[in-house]
Parts: sequence; structure tokens; C-alpha cells
Amino acid sequence: MTGLILNDDDGDLALLRDSVAGFAQRHDGPATLRARRASGADLDRTSWAAMAEAGWLGLMLPEELGGAGLGYAEQSILCEALGQALVTEPLAQLSVLSGALIAAAEPGAERQRLADGLMSGAAIVAPAWQGADGGAGPIAARSTSNGITLSGRISYVSAAQSATDFLVLAAEEGQTLLLSVPANADGLTVAAHATLDGSQLATLSLDQVTVPTQAVLCRADAADAALEQAIAAARLAISAELVGIGTRAIEDTIAYTKDRVQFGRPIAGFQVVQHRLVDMWADAEFAAASVSHAVEMQAEGESLERDLAVLAAKARAGDAAVTITRRALHLYGAMGFTDDCDIGLYMKRAVALNATLGQPETLRLQFVARERAAA
Amino acid sequence: MSEQQDWNALSDDQFRAVFRSWVEANCPAHLRFMRKQRPVFDEVSEWYHKLADKGWLSPLWPQEYGGMGLDAAKHIVYVEEWARLGCPRIPDHGIGLTGPLLIQYGTQAQKDFFLPRILSGEHVWCQGYSEPNAGSDLASLRTSARRDGDDFIVNGQKIWTTLAHCANWILLLVRTSTDEAKRQKGITVLLVDMTTAGCTVRPIPNLRNEADFCEVFFDNVRVPAANVVGEIDQGWALAKAVLGHERIFLGAPSRPEYAIKRLERLAQDRGAFDDPGFVARYAKLRLDLYDLSAAFERFARVLRAGGVLGADVSVLKIFCSELYQRITEEMLTVAGEEARLWDDLHTGAGDVDAMNLYLDSRAPTIFGGSNEIQKGVLAKGVLGLPSSF
Repeated sequence: MTGLILNDDDGDLALLRDSVAGFAQRHDGPATLRARRASGADLDRTSWAAMAEAGWLGLMLPEELGGAGLGYAEQSILCEALGQALVTEPLAQLSVLSGALIAAAEPGAERQRLADGLMSGAAIVAPAWQGADGGAGPIAARSTSNGITLSGRISYVSAAQSATDFLVLAAEEGQTLLLSVPANADGLTVAAHATLDGSQLATLSLDQVTVPTQAVLCRADAADAALEQAIAAARLAISAELVGIGTRAIEDTIAYTKDRVQFGRPIAGFQVVQHRLVDMWADAEFAAASVSHAVEMQAEGESLERDLAVLAAKARAGDAAVTITRRALHLYGAMGFTDDCDIGLYMKRAVALNATLGQPETLRLQFVARERAAA
Repeated sequence: MSEQQDWNALSDDQFRAVFRSWVEANCPAHLRFMRKQRPVFDEVSEWYHKLADKGWLSPLWPQEYGGMGLDAAKHIVYVEEWARLGCPRIPDHGIGLTGPLLIQYGTQAQKDFFLPRILSGEHVWCQGYSEPNAGSDLASLRTSARRDGDDFIVNGQKIWTTLAHCANWILLLVRTSTDEAKRQKGITVLLVDMTTAGCTVRPIPNLRNEADFCEVFFDNVRVPAANVVGEIDQGWALAKAVLGHERIFLGAPSRPEYAIKRLERLAQDRGAFDDPGFVARYAKLRLDLYDLSAAFERFARVLRAGGVLGADVSVLKIFCSELYQRITEEMLTVAGEEARLWDDLHTGAGDVDAMNLYLDSRAPTIFGGSNEIQKGVLAKGVLGLPSSF
């Protein structure tokens, strides 16, 4: 299986892939997922600390903030490799999305504190910006003599139980604000719900939570632009992870169908099974091509081209991973329906990621609307 | 023959500009974006000769044989611009099949005799491979060639022979031996003059009511043994070897690209973009095309880097042919009751040949190795699955 193909003249991407493979040997993805699911936790702190140690949490954070200052290519290769190994900690949210918001914030002590904590793993900085429909849902902000008072509900927050800080989207008189809110703030409550992929997703309720004005990271158009950029970055990271999931699911299914003998021959020898496997593989190839294209576009393309490429990549990779793992599960037969078999975990992770930050149809409609508006 | 230069020394963009400006000035306007996919030689001979005079008829032949000597990267540009500018397809079996085969495997005498006659248009070639009982299973072909002194006597029948009715030479796969256990052995490549006594051609009207393929019958047709290409009984390997990087073009996005523009024109005119159901279906098609281009580019890059395509390139052909079909199917949905009509549909922005494209799109899942054959190749050659039969 080929997966993402990106220019790697220096060999850095290959090294990154190798280091994820090494990591996965020490921190088995499926085992970690099962343990996390059983404990009701929303983050495996051991894995997370090791990822911080490996330098993966601040991959795209600019060097001025102490980050690695790397690009979409490195981030995508990392996420693809994590997807292959079924390492399911919420990197796209806690590192990529939060990192992009922090990078876009106005320089200051709070920004640097968040960046340092994010990279070292000492702080868990969870983005909190979605409404119940999944779109941006700023909560109410009101300036007072004590600072800024926030009230409202925020949905789909990753790692809320583990979080030390939230990056909260709010609005005051139509002006967007992006604020840092400590997880232990008075008036903030967390209601967590189990997710399909063995984690927890929370709804935050803020009731008159007051933060100082220094908690504002950016505002108005800059805040809107920062969020849009951060969403695109997270979508691309998730797309790459989905590519990894799809390619791994096919590899495992090929191995299984070559091994499984019925009617005196491996079931991979039956043409009807072969054509199914080829269809699955073809979907993975197209997903990899689409995501590779989107990664390149971020460096080369015009603004519209960049946005379109990400929408296409997330839609393609999501559809591919979901349908590949679904078909894989079928080819595993009854074995695929057991909790013991990892293929089911891949399928659930694919469904959850596919639903994150826009289902394929929504993204395709956005693509067409943007393209036609520009024509 | 005009002067040639080292086209590969230009950048792709430079070559694109040179090629485009000349084609725009020289490809006759009435031949651009022809409705017919496979015009016969006489319909496009003007364009054929212009290309020949310029020395641009055979992009891949080495310059010593009158070709352009393009590398794969420049050839992709050539094909892309050709499609973008709507140039008509010319009868190209001499350029794309017989020529390369002779350049690689032919005798000096064969090269000296045949290659100039392809370039001049004197010889128009067709490809005699498929038979009534040898389609996907080509190695089961039965047209026979029996040795008789310095000649072979050919008997049998070919079918689905594209443009045979406007060709005067046929590149024939014949069975010269049935002794071998392996069926691929015992097949020989023969160059046959179709004006020889005993050779008859019968066009077969296709779905679009055009005759672009034919049956070709051989009744004791006498062919000089000097017209064997390569070794006797070893023709199968030759027939397989000819297609190199050109396999990428079976998956080139140009046909679905053209079709989706026509779909957009029709949908705009009929108000379909106000229908959320249509928009959702259109969005799927549009993004399939977008990603096909990304996937095509992924393989094109391998060629640009001087690499060789693997069996995996078949994935483009499967996806591209099925997408083309789905786009034309959507056209008929948008056409509504009008889809009962044979003629082109009228819109404020020009006609849309919906039915023509719908019928045309039925072919690509069949030709060039049916999609099921391609899947078999991928299963074995890429996924490493055991043989299924």
C-alpha cells in the first residue's frame, strides 16, 4: 500500500514514519484504546507524555514560540502513521487545532504559556468552539470591571476531563473573541459522553465564568480567520490519519483473507473477494492522492485552491476509510463482529473521524458552493 | 520533413506553450471538438498531413525515424494539450502500435519500408487482435497462419477491429503453432496488406449508429514471411511489450472533464442547480473528477521523475471510465423526458450532446482490457493475491 507520497528529498519524512513505528511498538494503539475505553478516560496520559517527549505536539508551532516550525507535510506523515498504528489520542484537536489558534494569537505571556504547556504535555489545551450542530458556536461574552464574563454551552470538546485549559470561542456584540479559560474556573462544568472510538467527548457549560482581559488571545476578524485556518489544519491532519486507517485496514484484510481457508483454498483466491479487495485498495489510493494533493496545495496554491483541496481531501479520505473498514469487517466474517478483532476498532475510529469537522457530503457541498461562487 | 530540435531540453511549460500555439494556429477549426470520437482517415487527413509536415505526428518515435522523440513527461503535455484544444483523434494505430513495434523489433528493411509510409499517410493501420472467441482471453485466438514456402497462408476472422474499413494494413496476431502446452506460445505478429486477395472487411454499426469497428475475414490470404515481426511463435511478448507509459492515458481525466462541462451547461440551463438533490449528486461527480486529476498527477509525476509505471496505474482506467459513465447518466436524469430523444439538446449556451456522450461512455469500461480484467491484474500484480483460476 502506498499511502501519502510527498517530496522527501532530505529523508525527514521517512525518519518520522520510522519513529512512529517505534512508538507504536512501545505504546500499542489497540491495547491503549481498549484500556482507555474501560477506564472512561479521555486521554492516555502515558502515550501523550511520550508523544510530547518525541516532539510531536508542537510540530507545526512556529519556532519563535519554541515549536518545530514544520509544515503540513510532516504533520500529515505523522498523522498517517498514527492512523496506521491506531494511536487514537486527539492529536488533531489538542495539538494541531489548538496549536494553530495559539500561533495566530497576539504575542504575549498567555500565548507563550499555552504554547510551552502544549508542547511539553504539561498543559492539555482543548479547543472549545463548536455549537450543537458542529459549526462555530460562540458563547456570550460580556466585559465587566473584573474582566470578561462568559456564559453558554459548548459541544464536542475533546479531552475535557484531562484539560488544563480551554481555548474558548465567544462573541460580544457581534465581535468574535478567542479566550483562554482555565479548566478549573468557577462556573465551568463538564459533562462527558463516551465516544465510538473509546474516548470521551464533552459538553462544557459556562455559567458566569469570569476571566481577566489578558485571557483574550485574539479578537474580531483575526479570531475568525484564526479559527478558519485552524479548522483547515485539523481537517487535513484528520484526513491523513484516515488515509493511514484505510491502508492499514486493507493490509490486514489481505493478510486475513490469504490465511483464511474455506472450500479448500484461501478466500483471497476467490475472484469475488479479489474484486472487493481491489475496490477497497483503489479507494485508498484515491484518498492518498487527494490528501497528498491537499498537502502540496497548502504550500503552492492560491487561497481558494488551498481551501478546496482540504475540503476534497477530508471528504475523500473520510468516505474511503469508513467504507474500506466496513467492507474489511465484512470480509473478516463473524470474526469481524467481535470486540477482540482490531478491525472493528479501525472501523469505529474511521466513523468517528469522518464525523469530525464535517461529513463528506457537507464538505462536498461547501466545495461546490465555493467553486461556483468564484467562477 | 521539417527541422527537429531536442524538445526534451525545454521545460514542460515551454514545450506546452510552443505546442499549443502551433496547434491553435494549425488545427482546422471545423475539426475541433468533433462529435465523432473515431473519425475515419479522410475526415481528418488535413490535420494528419499538417502534423506530418511539421514532424509532430509521432511524438514518441525517435527523431531518426521522423518522430519527435519526446520523453514521457513531454508526451503527457502533448496529449493534454491535444485534448484541451479539442483536436480530433486521427487513425493512430500506425503511429502508436505498428511504428513502435517495428522500431523495437522490426528488421532494417521493415523499418525502411513501413515507417515513412506511416508518416506520409500512405499506409493506414488497424489492429487485428480480438476474435469472436478471443476477447478478454486474447491468448485463445485461432486465426491461423500456415507456412507455404516463402509465404504464410492466413485463415480466420478478427472482430472489433477499430477503423478497419479505412485502413489498408493490419497488424495481425496469428496462431502459427498449436503444439505448445502454453497457449501464449505459438502466436506470431504479421504485417498484412489488406488489399491482398481473400481479405474482406465488414463494418459493424455501433450503439451510436457509427461504423468505427469492423469484422475482418481472412480466406487463404497469402502473406510474405518477410512480414513477420520478431521471431515466429514469439509474438505474444511483443504484443504485450508495446504499451509502456501510454497506459496512463486510459485514465486521463479529459473525457469526464469534457462531459462534466456539458453536464454543467445543461444543468444551468434547466435550473437543476436549484435542486438540492442534483447539487448533491453533482458535488460527488465534481469531486470525483477533482481527485481523479490528483491521482493522475501522482502517476504522471513518476514518469516525470524518469520512473516506470507499475501495474497499479490500472486504477486510473477503472475509476475514469466509471466516472465518465456516471456523469453521462446524470445528464440523462437532468434531461428528464427529453432523454427520449436521439438528437443533441439545445441550451441557451449551445447544444449538449447528452445522448452521444451517454452512448460513447459505455465503451471505456470494455476496451483496453475490461475493468474486470484490470481488477484481476491489480489483484495479482499489486495486492499479491493468489491466482483465482
